[in-house]
Amino acid sequence: MKAFEYQRAASPADSTAAVASYCNAMFFAGGTTLVDLMKIDVLTPDTLVDINSLALHEIEVTDDAIIAGANVSNSQLAWHPIVRERIPVLTQSILSGATTQIRNMATVAGNMLQRTRCTYFRDVHSACNRRVPHSGCDALGGFNRGAAVLGVSEHCIATHPSDMCVAAALLDAEVRTVRPDGSHRIIPLNEFHLLPINTPHLETVLDRGELITHVVFRTTPIARRSYYLKVRDRASYEFALASAAVAIQVDGDRILDARLAIGGVATKPWRCVDAERSLVGKAAGEKSFREAAEISLSDAVAQQHNAFKIELAKRTIVRAFAKITEGTA
Amino acid sequence: MRAAAGILGAPMSRVEGRLKLTGSAAYPIDVVVSGQAYAVLVQSTVVCGRISAINTDMAARAPGVVTIVTHANTPAFPLGPTTPLGPSPLPPLQGAEVFHFGQHVAMVIAETLEQAQAAASSVAITYETAEPTLSLDEPSRATELHPWLPDQTRGDAATAFANAEVRLDERYITADNTHNPIGLFAIVAEWQGDTLIVHDTTQWPHGVRETLAGAFGIDPANVHVHTPYVGGAFGAGLRVWPHVILAALGAKLARRPVKLVLTRAQMFTSLGHRPMSVQRLRLGAARDGRLTAIEHEAKSPLSMAGEFFNPVAAGAAEAYNCAHVTTRDRQVRVNVSLPTWMRAPGHAEASFALESAVDEMAYRLGIDPLELRLRNHAAVHPHSGHPWSSNALLECYTVGAERFGWHARTPALRSMRDGRLLVGYGTARAALSAYQAPCTALATVRRDGSASIRSGATDIGAGTYTVITQLAAELLGLPPTRVHVGLGDSDMPKAPQQGGSGLTAALGNAVHGACLDVTRTMVDLVSRDEGSPLYGCTLQTVETTNGGLQRLGKPAEYESFAEILDRHGLDELTREGASKPPSSAAMAHAGSFGAQFIEVRVDPDLGTVRVHRVVSVVDGGRILNEKVARSQIVGGIVGGIGMALFEETVSVNGRPINTSLGDYVIPANADIPDIDVTFVGGPDPMTEVGAKGIGELALTGVAAAVANAVFHATGKRIRTLPLSLDKVMD
Repeated sequence: MKAFEYQRAASPADSTAAVASYCNAMFFAGGTTLVDLMKIDVLTPDTLVDINSLALHEIEVTDDAIIAGANVSNSQLAWHPIVRERIPVLTQSILSGATTQIRNMATVAGNMLQRTRCTYFRDVHSACNRRVPHSGCDALGGFNRGAAVLGVSEHCIATHPSDMCVAAALLDAEVRTVRPDGSHRIIPLNEFHLLPINTPHLETVLDRGELITHVVFRTTPIARRSYYLKVRDRASYEFALASAAVAIQVDGDRILDARLAIGGVATKPWRCVDAERSLVGKAAGEKSFREAAEISLSDAVAQQHNAFKIELAKRTIVRAFAKITEGTA
Repeated sequence: MRAAAGILGAPMSRVEGRLKLTGSAAYPIDVVVSGQAYAVLVQSTVVCGRISAINTDMAARAPGVVTIVTHANTPAFPLGPTTPLGPSPLPPLQGAEVFHFGQHVAMVIAETLEQAQAAASSVAITYETAEPTLSLDEPSRATELHPWLPDQTRGDAATAFANAEVRLDERYITADNTHNPIGLFAIVAEWQGDTLIVHDTTQWPHGVRETLAGAFGIDPANVHVHTPYVGGAFGAGLRVWPHVILAALGAKLARRPVKLVLTRAQMFTSLGHRPMSVQRLRLGAARDGRLTAIEHEAKSPLSMAGEFFNPVAAGAAEAYNCAHVTTRDRQVRVNVSLPTWMRAPGHAEASFALESAVDEMAYRLGIDPLELRLRNHAAVHPHSGHPWSSNALLECYTVGAERFGWHARTPALRSMRDGRLLVGYGTARAALSAYQAPCTALATVRRDGSASIRSGATDIGAGTYTVITQLAAELLGLPPTRVHVGLGDSDMPKAPQQGGSGLTAALGNAVHGACLDVTRTMVDLVSRDEGSPLYGCTLQTVETTNGGLQRLGKPAEYESFAEILDRHGLDELTREGASKPPSSAAMAHAGSFGAQFIEVRVDPDLGTVRVHRVVSVVDGGRILNEKVARSQIVGGIVGGIGMALFEETVSVNGRPINTSLGDYVIPANADIPDIDVTFVGGPDPMTEVGAKGIGELALTGVAAAVANAVFHATGKRIRTLPLSLDKVMD
């Protein structure tokens, strides 16, 4: 770990001004990703601006949304009774990630900014375009069993690690921010994360010093019947090899509407809009679900060690829809 | 002499349990010595080559740096001692050559840990890289025959195999595994003149003493090694690794105490690992199920520098009643870090191959896999023909089958289901050969009526403190609360490693001897003392009870040890006991045996395997404490489940890359089901105490039982560990 300055922000404006004024400052909230990466020299901020004392700890419930303050912990959000009732997929996705201890520390805004678990990103002796622009990508041709198959480029195949963000993608969540100039903006979650393309080091649309203040999750009626299925080697405390967040509305066995987002296989939380459209009007059954799965993975690109994830993701989608329509989710 | 019964075998909780749970047990990583500086290791980032330049200028100017050690300023160290387990790992920083990724190439010592880390990251090293050897198929790197455990040959296996009615010839692969104890290995080294004091994570304080004395040319009596508690080791602490010497060197150069804690990533390349193995098994059988030939060949990697003897296949020679057996072990020198023993070394890998192969043979023969094992049971030691000193393996099979409900298994593949999930039952034989090393211990009885036991052995979590407390309490007729056991100190009597599942027998028998000698001396004192109610007694006519001696059958004729010592003007009485490996011309010294029964649930679409139920039946000789013994078995099975389903140190081009507990997957609580453990059998007559080692047994057979259950569930025979979901998916 490199030496760094530490300061506590008194207000959002204070914090954005502080981060914007240093050349290499970062916001510090739960620290579950940041400190971890600082310990292994992957992140080397010269200043940390602690935002834990900012009044962003509330969960506000409105008629059609749940508005979580940036500093709400993952656990707090997951166990909120209205979240559990209206958007079970959010609770399930959060609780499938990490451990109780980490979820108690990690914040909602921090989860939106989680960094990849790609081995090569986390090792300063390896080439990684995401960590050091233009240094190369050792994951290509290296150990890439966990690497993404969707949204990849010739410069980066790192998987987005978050479970919560997959549910957030499903729910058309919005990220609310404040910028150093005091202006606010609302960014749809599905436009918040960037594909790696030629600039894998740019992970989100946030400007320098821009602070997430809230994340808004829509409690649309379809979200009441939603489910998150995560597949991984061991039963807990592991990142997804494939995951699916699903929501469905049926009339008899006819699908009226459906939502699908997948995780563990893409470079950002991956909403599958075409697959959703394909399901509308179809019979709720294995055949329709499989078609939707095929559409979702139709652009998948396999590396040396992760080809199995394409089929695994398809089956995960089918299983998730099957369980929710059967009522066994 | 007779000893009061009832203490030994009782399910007593760990005597140090409260200390550990409350955080007051000081592990080496917790030790803080006044004035200590902090050392951080710099390790090679290349796999093969040589250091052409090390630039330490920037690191030397970094804040707080005390000194920097590289091969340029490291003295020549002599080779470490060769022990019954083989040569020591090579001493550190003896040249510019790099043999593996993660080799120590420098050490930075600074005032604080953070300063040392920061400075260490600014040591600039230039390498001339060379093409590494990484393939086990490289013939020029294959090593000689194993020098101390020669390959086994019985009968003519090749001919028997060729003539067998049913043949099986398959290849099995086990993965590189890393010990990963939760406790990071740590050492604090301090010089006081020519005296060296170290607090070190080790399974072997006397080995550390001998090695450091040799390295620095000082009298072993001037090296004091303290290891009261170890946060797990699984074999990683059996040898004295280069970082131990480096820490002592650092303290010498810095002229102050130095603390060195390995990082999790460094734990993967600094303390050995279980090397992967490629095994070929040829089994021949008659249609009636008799095994007629076993040919077992194993190949595993060895490092370019350093030695490690790793017999894998050898155990097949004593596994089954089969007239024609050959075993062949080969190692191949490649550019990996030095492997070492990891819990059930060789046995765990071999049992995966052999017990999978026996299961495969059962299907080819149309015989129930358990029945096939019963038919080929080795009622006597198959190699020597001698009767086993003890062997309750048949009982393990039958009791286990009953407890598990093996009869409910329908033999057809994919025939058992639970909704979407496929259900499979698998079984395997478990065995671990006997091992015991010489050991000594002191027993002391004091005038206040208390007793203590001292030995330089360690308790790495196995329950040694507790079972030795119980043993001494029983032998001396004292309540366990009046017995203090001191371990983990090289100033105490010489003891071997806690390893090879041999310590309970070795230390137990030494303690037995010491306590017996104390009692004998007490008897000598009172038998000549006309004032004692025990005047004229002999060892045969007394028992130890209530903290003293009592004439057999005559409770009134009793005297406490305290009274005896008091009357003879003694503060305490101390005697040493020693044990040696037992030998017998008439009996085969038996290790422990067991049978594993495992039920899995497999999701055929997603490939996930979950172990649903485990029944393990164990013949461990005399069980000194059923509670800690059960914990040992449960821990071994958890390790076995990890080996079966998850654990693999993945290396790419010679470089281990999943070197964190987030990436090296071990079972989480949610992966572990109910584990039913039953002990059968009785005391082994080869030793006084009758205990057999059980620390490693439970890991053997588990991976095969899981793989056999997965085959039964899915019809997929997976011969490469771990059974990850990508291999299991339909």
